[in-house]
Amino acid sequence: MEEVKEKIVSIEKPDLIAPPDWKPVIVGILCNWCSYAGSDLTGTSRTQYPPNIRIIRVPCSSRVDPWFIIKALQTTADGVLISGCHPGDCHYISGNYYARRRFLVTRELLKMVGFHEHRVQFSWVSAAEGSKFAQVVKKVTEDVIKLGPLHLYKKENFSK
Amino acid sequence: MDYSKQIQDIAAKLFADGKIDVFVGYRMNSFDDNQIPVVITDPKEVAELVFTEKSVFNLTNYLKADHTRNKRVGLVVKGCDSRSLNLLLTESQVKREKLYIIGIACEGVVDDKGQKMQNCVECIVPDAVVFDEMLGTPKGIRDYIVNADIIELAGKGLVERREYFEQIFENCIRCNACRHSCPLCYCAKCCIDQETATIYNGSNTSSSAFHALMTWSLHLAGRCVDCRNCEKACPSHLPLHLLHKQNEKVIYDNFQNHLAGVEEGDRGAFYKYSLKDPDDFIL
Amino acid sequence: MSFSTFVTDKTGLQKLYEAIISKHETYAPVEKFGKYDYKKVSSLKECDPDSPIAMTMSVKPLFFPRASKIMKYEANSSGTTIMETDEDPLAGKRVVLGVKHCDARGLQVLDAVNKWDYIDSDFLKRRANTVIFSTRCDKADTHCFCTSLDYDLEKLDALDVAVVNGSDGKIYLQARTGKGDIFLKENSDQSTMYDVQNTMDDVRSTKYEEDMKKQYIAFTGSFRLKMDYKDVNEKMAKRFDSPAFEEASRNCVSCNTCAFICPTCHCFKISDEKIKDTGVRYKSYDSCNNVYFTLEAGGHNPRPAKFRRWRQRSMHKFVYYKERFGVNLCVGCGHCAISCPVNISIFDVVNHVANSPASS
Repeated sequence: MEEVKEKIVSIEKPDLIAPPDWKPVIVGILCNWCSYAGSDLTGTSRTQYPPNIRIIRVPCSSRVDPWFIIKALQTTADGVLISGCHPGDCHYISGNYYARRRFLVTRELLKMVGFHEHRVQFSWVSAAEGSKFAQVVKKVTEDVIKLGPLHLYKKENFSK
Repeated sequence: MDYSKQIQDIAAKLFADGKIDVFVGYRMNSFDDNQIPVVITDPKEVAELVFTEKSVFNLTNYLKADHTRNKRVGLVVKGCDSRSLNLLLTESQVKREKLYIIGIACEGVVDDKGQKMQNCVECIVPDAVVFDEMLGTPKGIRDYIVNADIIELAGKGLVERREYFEQIFENCIRCNACRHSCPLCYCAKCCIDQETATIYNGSNTSSSAFHALMTWSLHLAGRCVDCRNCEKACPSHLPLHLLHKQNEKVIYDNFQNHLAGVEEGDRGAFYKYSLKDPDDFIL
Repeated sequence: MSFSTFVTDKTGLQKLYEAIISKHETYAPVEKFGKYDYKKVSSLKECDPDSPIAMTMSVKPLFFPRASKIMKYEANSSGTTIMETDEDPLAGKRVVLGVKHCDARGLQVLDAVNKWDYIDSDFLKRRANTVIFSTRCDKADTHCFCTSLDYDLEKLDALDVAVVNGSDGKIYLQARTGKGDIFLKENSDQSTMYDVQNTMDDVRSTKYEEDMKKQYIAFTGSFRLKMDYKDVNEKMAKRFDSPAFEEASRNCVSCNTCAFICPTCHCFKISDEKIKDTGVRYKSYDSCNNVYFTLEAGGHNPRPAKFRRWRQRSMHKFVYYKERFGVNLCVGCGHCAISCPVNISIFDVVNHVANSPASS
């Protein structure tokens, strides 16, 4: 686990200070054909990346309904990463093009209601990009650590 | 803007010719000068029909009700209403040949206090886009104006916005009136009403309100026509248009100036794509 | 049994309110987005006890919350453990200011069903620990029809302490229950308030009676909606198969708002919020106008049509509840009509049905 050293304040709610043992949880929703295979490659090639990510496999990035993101943010996640095939590489030909439109709108709406834009991030990772996946996870984890714990609209009794 | 006489004549003629079974229009309230929708099956009641700048409610909502299902319906639509009708037609919810549509070249409607509604001030498509008969002189499509409240919100900081929206979700009583009064929410069973769904739980807490309203607005993104039926129905007077207008702005700016339901056969922004869609936010 | 009545003026009332807010846990109408809802307040400035009736939500959520926890549970391989919920945040001693007269009556109506069959101890505890200051309106709103429904000045329907505006800027504080009497005596400020009964001035007391009468006549005269309620229950009971229900409910959009803001509707649903093996069971509002309200597990729905749901709603309010508890499940506040997007009032529906030809 990526350990948190100094005192961290939630960016959305400045009076909320992270407990000393706080470890961010990131939910990664990965497409089966590219990003999941990419994360597999990261593992088999023994590249190090932060273990804060919890991976969920979906058939295609366009399978991601906006409420998957909302549900993750409401329960345990401090950040969400959604990853799919590069444009043009979709196993279902055009799934990620549809997904791209939805991601933009979801991201902008979450931004407006008071989530920092780095809480929800998106990436294109192909099955050959094991090192890119490690980099992406590292970046997302670092970003979320800077933002502090997420407290917004949490389902009661289930924040960690 | 008073087309009461014309609408009465058209409706009477339609009933006389046997072209329709039901007519959906507006009538005066019994106690003040506001209007309420009326569903007419008896030709004698045609004299009740009115249409003025107080005709606010989007009548296409009634196309999903029991009284109009599988019947031949006469209907009055303003600009925004006709856009939602266009979407309902493309999504195969109603059959065009079963409808007789009276389109209005709308000059804007007013709220209870007599003030022009915000969505009418910022209206882009005032004329009905799908109709059998047009009343009034069409004025054509206007320029897109970004909603004033969205501009104001965009100028605020993250913490300020969070506090504002927290109040909205806290004051939501989860009655789902917004959803039921929305003409485009026609699902036989809404995803947030599924008893077995562990993804959403039906308790009336503010976190459930957040989940429900966000999901609802994102499922309507690229389809919402800004008729504000939801706001009229909301018992807590929540500014629900903020969620929809934000989505509309993002979609208009980024996806080739898409506006829901303006063109015939439009299925909403999320049912198509372009290779040029922005992806600079993707890592 | 008679309870004390105090006379004061506007500043005296303000002083009393301020003293109450500083001493007790107080709830009062707070404005948000143009609508008033009862929230916990820490100063008189942030609330408005004289909020307009049309813009004020019901006080019901303070006694029957929109979502309340019933229990917590944890399931694992060895079985299920049921745990106690957190402490009820509404169970403590508290005061509610600015409750409307009809709203307060709604609580008394709800008492009957909460004491019957299954005793809802949470509700009754909240009621017992709360002192309500109810304000009597000077004038009826467009949709009000409380005088049509058993409203009677002599019956002293308001709860705990009634605040009534008299003539010449006088304000009467009338204790209506023993609880209110004790509270008022404890908190009365001798410098600004005086007791009507104990005062030596006879003229003042007779004036009080006169004032009340005048007030009442002016108030009842201001109603737009009037219904002869005496036989409405019988009439309704005879018209179960009346086509009038269909006619009256035709433009309803089934949005459920009416039930959620009604001061007397008390239907609820049970839902589990669960993640992995732990969960909380919630009790939250439901509405009989919802299509799924009566949907059975096998897929059969006894009330699929809109008019059947409307029939249930109006018959429950005016027939079934009256038969069982001797009181209508409607207090005539008109909130359903105010909040309805198409302005359907239960008054119009009931009036329409009661005046339709009786079914064979």
